[in-house]
Amino acid sequence: MGNQSGMSRAQVAVLYLVLTMAIASGIAIYSSASTVTALLKTATAGLFLPILLSLIVSYLLDPAVYFFEGKKIGRTLSIFIVYFLLFSTVSLFLLIIGPPNWEGMVQALKADFPRYISHAIEYLSGLLTAVQEHFPFIENYNLAERMSAISQAIFGFILKETPRSAMRIGSLLLLVPLFSFFFLRDSRRIMRSLISLTPNRYFEVVLDIYAHVSWQLAHFIRGRILEALIIGVVIWMGLSLTDIRYAPILAIIAGVTNLVPYIGPLIGMLPGLIIALVDLGVGGQFWWILCVYVLIAQIIVDNFILIPILISKVSNLHPLGVILAIVMGGQLYGVIGMIIGVPIVSILNIFIIEIRHNRRNFNPYNRYFTSRGKLL
Amino acid sequence: MNPFWGNIFRSSGYEQTLAYFLSTMPMFKELDKRELAFLENVVHVRKYEVDEIIFSEGDIGSGMYTIRSGEVQIYTRGEQDQEIEQAILESGDFFGEISLTASRPRCASARATEPTVLVGLFRTDMLEAVRRHPAPSAKIMLGLNRVISDRLLQCSLQLEELKKQLADSQKQQADG
Repeated sequence: MGNQSGMSRAQVAVLYLVLTMAIASGIAIYSSASTVTALLKTATAGLFLPILLSLIVSYLLDPAVYFFEGKKIGRTLSIFIVYFLLFSTVSLFLLIIGPPNWEGMVQALKADFPRYISHAIEYLSGLLTAVQEHFPFIENYNLAERMSAISQAIFGFILKETPRSAMRIGSLLLLVPLFSFFFLRDSRRIMRSLISLTPNRYFEVVLDIYAHVSWQLAHFIRGRILEALIIGVVIWMGLSLTDIRYAPILAIIAGVTNLVPYIGPLIGMLPGLIIALVDLGVGGQFWWILCVYVLIAQIIVDNFILIPILISKVSNLHPLGVILAIVMGGQLYGVIGMIIGVPIVSILNIFIIEIRHNRRNFNPYNRYFTSRGKLL
Repeated sequence: MNPFWGNIFRSSGYEQTLAYFLSTMPMFKELDKRELAFLENVVHVRKYEVDEIIFSEGDIGSGMYTIRSGEVQIYTRGEQDQEIEQAILESGDFFGEISLTASRPRCASARATEPTVLVGLFRTDMLEAVRRHPAPSAKIMLGLNRVISDRLLQCSLQLEELKKQLADSQKQQADG
């Protein structure tokens, strides 16, 4: 290149200096960025769950707050009224029904847990030998040992985490109402100021997309939580009719696992079925419990009543997408990842649909074309 | 007055506020102070540079703009893609109101010809306001409706006038 050979020494020196500085500053930015992300990670370590929970709480309480705001009460005061009402309802409920004996139940479960697991392992290995009799080519997979190892790991984890989780629940009880108070009061203002940062060219699109996404998200979260709540109550009532122990805990497990579509309910009914099998044996009560889990809770209440009413308004993911989201979320963040994986993918899905809808506005070359697609 | 003192004693009074500006608009002139404060939280204030495009013909619109300060040129594209100026709008005028109630493509382009401050009222915000605060929203919509109806009436009268002129000239041609 004639141009380069024509450079003077000074120019070469400047070029050299600039390149060196560019590389050095690149490395510096990279390393400081990684320390910054590490710092951020440490700083926000314990905050993920409280913030997630308070977001969910604020989505749930939002309609109630708006109800009071419609009566010409200030927003802050309405939030306090809703908090007060919620608190008094829960206390009244506990006062009338009497608090369930959680501690005794947990202690008893601790004692009973190994028994249930050993029964389950026994039953499974019996099943396995039966299978191997019919299909001898199946490898002798040592299921019993693996199951007992896993169950012991789970049991140890529960024993170790109980005191810690008590502390965490205490801090959650403090943080979640506080966070959700501010989310309820200021979320609109915060989002407005964030949206107003977008460049003029994309402002309308971003505003539209935000409105759509927040509407869908609110419906999705409210629908899912209400669904889990109702399923939990239905299972509690169904199980209370039998002699099974730990009905409240089993109902909570069923409700929480119900948040994970497809796979959740299957996992949620396992402990109940195991306990029923061990304590009550195969009989009328066992079949009733199975019926409660599968037929009443899942098929009738969930599929025929709740999903059409609560969830169907939200643009649904393809089942394959749901399963992929659950698996990937589980690999990233464990159980919480499995629960929040689906809503996050749904949000992305809504984003993509909206952006495709508004593709014209998003095209940066748009202004050089007319509406008939001709170049200006 | 000395600009220094003027700067210190500048009246940051009611006349400077967004609420006052909105109350001078014909469509919002019947709102009381409380409703104006509400409206202030529904609209978005956007700043535009000289020659910045506000929206282009054919974009999916999502709301209307009123001009707080500055100047806006409305234009369309002709057959040879040349720009045809339709109007020059000034402070206090509004445009894009067709997109406020339904997402329609913009039927003309708008461009700021000076540094311009616009006050945007958008459909999504309006829908939310209607859902959550029906009474003031209804008043805002009624005001808008009144102004747009006036425009429609004027348009109809003009159309009538033009039709009459057309008929007259055809008659003259037939006679002559």
